[in-house]
Amino acid sequence: MANGSEITISVEYLRGTEKKIEALKALIDMSALISSTLDLDELMQLVMEKAKHELQAEACSILFYNKEIDKLEFEVALCKEEATSDLLKQKIILDMGQGIAGWVARNMEPLIVNDVRADERFFDQVDKQTGFITESIVAVPLIGRCGLIGVVELLNHKRKEYDLELFQILCKQFAIAIENALQHKELVEKERLRHELEIAAALQKSFLPESPFLKKNNVTINAVNISAAKVGGDLYDFIEPAENMLGVIIGDVSGKGVSGAIYMSKIISDFKYVGISVNSPAGVLNRLNTLLAHAPHGMFVTVIYMIIDTITGRLRVSVAGHPPFLLLTKDNVKVMDVVSGPPLGILPAEYPDTVLQLDAGDRLFLFTDGVFEAKNKKGERIGYERLVEFVRMHGNASSLSDLVINYVNDFSKDTEMADDLTMVEIAFANNA
Amino acid sequence: MTIILIEKYGKKILELSGEIDMNASPVLRKELMTLVKKGVTPLVIDFNNVSYIDSSGIATFVEGLKGMMAFGGKLKLAALPSAVKEIFSFSKLDRVFEIYGSIDDAINS
Repeated sequence: MANGSEITISVEYLRGTEKKIEALKALIDMSALISSTLDLDELMQLVMEKAKHELQAEACSILFYNKEIDKLEFEVALCKEEATSDLLKQKIILDMGQGIAGWVARNMEPLIVNDVRADERFFDQVDKQTGFITESIVAVPLIGRCGLIGVVELLNHKRKEYDLELFQILCKQFAIAIENALQHKELVEKERLRHELEIAAALQKSFLPESPFLKKNNVTINAVNISAAKVGGDLYDFIEPAENMLGVIIGDVSGKGVSGAIYMSKIISDFKYVGISVNSPAGVLNRLNTLLAHAPHGMFVTVIYMIIDTITGRLRVSVAGHPPFLLLTKDNVKVMDVVSGPPLGILPAEYPDTVLQLDAGDRLFLFTDGVFEAKNKKGERIGYERLVEFVRMHGNASSLSDLVINYVNDFSKDTEMADDLTMVEIAFANNA
Repeated sequence: MTIILIEKYGKKILELSGEIDMNASPVLRKELMTLVKKGVTPLVIDFNNVSYIDSSGIATFVEGLKGMMAFGGKLKLAALPSAVKEIFSFSKLDRVFEIYGSIDDAINS
């Protein structure tokens, strides 16, 4: 009873206030913990230690929901024995609805079970596998902005009077923190990958000739290589296998990205070695086909390799499943569909040589399929025939490659570049 | 791309539709290699509703073919629309794969 300035407060009221203060303190502690790190592993360890302490639990675990397989997987487990934690993480996956955690995940509701043996939802296989004896479980779903993230479980908690509502609020904060940490992890990973790709792209470029332009006696070569992604699967190279001879290779590796780039780098280094020691294009392709026989995932490469006598214009060429190149003479554009074997790296095969004679003023135009398979917004592709038609109309241009690039860019305007473009123009100036 | 596995006259047929490009190839690879590893032979691939195949798609079939050859199995490509057939013949892959005009031809061969 109030008397003058004195106030009488009941013990229950005081205990209630104490509990609220304690709850508030726990919330503040948790908020501080959550905002202290963006490292997911560290965050989970910190929060679970805290939760275990709050409920005076013997063990604590977090199961993450794997959307792809619609199952729960143990992500972290804090048990007395480290071996038990490892066993949980490696071996145990729960179906939605299976066990207490599965029930909580499916129903997105928290659950306290003080005697698991009396609850038919309890899944005793986990205990059997780990040797841990579960008596009670507090399980709360972790629900983030994008739905279910997982379930937090506290086992054998001594503080039975603990406020579940408070624990739920903590778990909500925790869920948001996990989402933030996951997003951060993704960003860091993306940044790391971007950096790795930059290095890979620079390394890959180093396998291509330093200059895309080369002049040797009567032959002038001009190459263009544009990658769709940071790293590409197209290749070209020039070598001098013998005096006055020029070897020119163009190729297209199946698949793109880092795997395509590594494969391309292997092909170029194999080619540099074989190209110098074998003096016929067919011999080089036969040797490369053997060297590339064990590529993973069915990877292969289409290739044209030619050796040109830079004085006489006599040319030997061997083709492995690569789109035909074009011969531009004074008044004609000819599709050079010479005898070809299948792409390299698939099966044992024999690649033949074809001999051609270039006349003064003749030009050769070699390219990869990225040039004629470019797609427009309607999903139509340029097609080989249409590209040949374009070359027929503009064959006299001094830089055909530049015109073709503009043509491809115009055609596939407002679409993402899907494939690498590589073109090699070879001009023979004099029939000395 | 969609993939459906059916059975006709006791032979397994993988019906594909749409574009088999670098996005679709990993899904196809999983299905195809599971069948190859199980030793399903002959395996007929129905290309009737395939509009396009890129090099990553072809590489997937090359891997399937190599897997089949390792145990003497047969991978048969059937009913290729002309645009898809051109892609195979252009790169001389029609010499690598067994290609049939129709599903029935592939089954009866």
